[in-house]
Amino acid sequence: MGKIVSIHSFRGGTGKSNTTANLAAQVALRDKRVGVVDTDIQSPGIHVLFGLDEKKMGRTINDYLHGKCSIGEVAFSVGEFAADSDGRSQLAGKKLWLFPSSIKGRDISQILREGYDVNKLNEGLQTLMKELNLDYLFIDTHPGLNEETLLSIAISDILLLILRPDNQDFQGTAVTVDIARSLDVPNLLLLVNKAVPGKYDYDDLKAQVEKLYGAPLTSILPLNFEIADNASKDLFSLRFPDHEWSKGLRQVAEAVLSIP
Amino acid sequence: MNLANRANPMMWIPNNMADETTIQQLKKTFLFNGLPDDVLVTLLDSIVHCRLSKDEILFRKGDAGDSLFMIGEGWVKIVTEDALGSQLTLNQCGPGEAIGEMSLFDQAPRSAGVVALSDVTLLELKRDALLQLLDQRPDVALLVIRGISSRLRGSTTYIEKAIEWSKKIAEGDFSFTEQTQSRDLLSDATQEDRAKQFLSEFFKMARNVRAREEKLKQQVEKLTLQIDEARRKQEFEELTSSDFYANLKEQAKKLREQRSDKK
Repeated sequence: MGKIVSIHSFRGGTGKSNTTANLAAQVALRDKRVGVVDTDIQSPGIHVLFGLDEKKMGRTINDYLHGKCSIGEVAFSVGEFAADSDGRSQLAGKKLWLFPSSIKGRDISQILREGYDVNKLNEGLQTLMKELNLDYLFIDTHPGLNEETLLSIAISDILLLILRPDNQDFQGTAVTVDIARSLDVPNLLLLVNKAVPGKYDYDDLKAQVEKLYGAPLTSILPLNFEIADNASKDLFSLRFPDHEWSKGLRQVAEAVLSIP
Repeated sequence: MNLANRANPMMWIPNNMADETTIQQLKKTFLFNGLPDDVLVTLLDSIVHCRLSKDEILFRKGDAGDSLFMIGEGWVKIVTEDALGSQLTLNQCGPGEAIGEMSLFDQAPRSAGVVALSDVTLLELKRDALLQLLDQRPDVALLVIRGISSRLRGSTTYIEKAIEWSKKIAEGDFSFTEQTQSRDLLSDATQEDRAKQFLSEFFKMARNVRAREEKLKQQVEKLTLQIDEARRKQEFEELTSSDFYANLKEQAKKLREQRSDKK
């Protein structure tokens, strides 16, 4: 069986979608079979990083949740269609599928209004794990702790929590860690993102974070303005592999891959 | 000069020892180097030769001042005290320079103290003698005024420079410390020594401020992770008290069991 990896942060703006997309890409580059699900139904965004726009987007998670299609029909094969940029073209032929959320306002407002059956989402995820024989299924979650987030945490084999080095994030992450332990998530990983380069004593920060949460800190990624400039259009770690951010991200990928 | 204020041991040399030597010495001073010999001769009776050993005090700040000193040989420092009573060196003066000329004209107490940095020879001139000379010889008065004007002009230059640099430091612009070399400041022969000294000290200060700022910038911040444990517990309880959560926990447990069976 493959592993479900949920990527979560207590607050928005931690660089969660970016990290998820780059992580999935790094793992796919190592010839793993990888799925990426956008469960941030309220504010989807990860599709852009994989070169998917409204025109190219076919069926979505929303269609699946409303019973309009099977989960398999939502799959967008990044390896087949994403040769349109320097970074993504490296994924040509790789087994990487994206399961996007709808970016149509009508679909978003419908799901916010009517809600959806989290059990159906769970069934869908389990189905595609089996049918696509995935090694890893990455779930990009909505920030905070609502029902679908709790579900994705509950079904995770690995939970990667992203936080920025500030006290609000430390506080929120503490609650999320408690929830993950209560739900018996077997592997908990931490990632600090958007650290101002040179501002902190990294060893000290790592020691404090690991002591506080009792989980390994996989990497401290620098605040990266180039990401803001470029990565909305491309996968940063593929396009700029020598950048410190990309090096740090590969450490996170190693940490995920090393879990048996 | 009040003898009681003078620190011991100070050695005195009689006036009549060598008038010619005294005249030559006066010619080497900045105040009197332009005066003709016949004028200098009239001063001879009013000149007192004195000598200081290293570390000896000539006068203290606040002392009454009724004479002017011109340095023959050696160096002295002009000192004052800061608010905490520590000695601050304002300037150093050497051969040819005059000390105490301010008190001579305004009759105010000494504005700073003077301490010998080495063995020093001095020529002392009483106020009365100088004023008498100025009264008789307007051309001498003009020379003295010219000397003081020159000092003022020099002061104005360095004050202007100091204002300019202060503004730059306030704006965090330290580029002038790169553009200006210390030797440029010291090679300006028209500047008085005091001005050079001041500019040089100012320059050092700017460099130090800059170095300190850069060190601060590099200093890494040690974050202290602060968690409100009560809030953490309360939020956890709120999240986990629902039926949804209990159900989810149960389902997750079953799901994990199923999946681990398949492995």
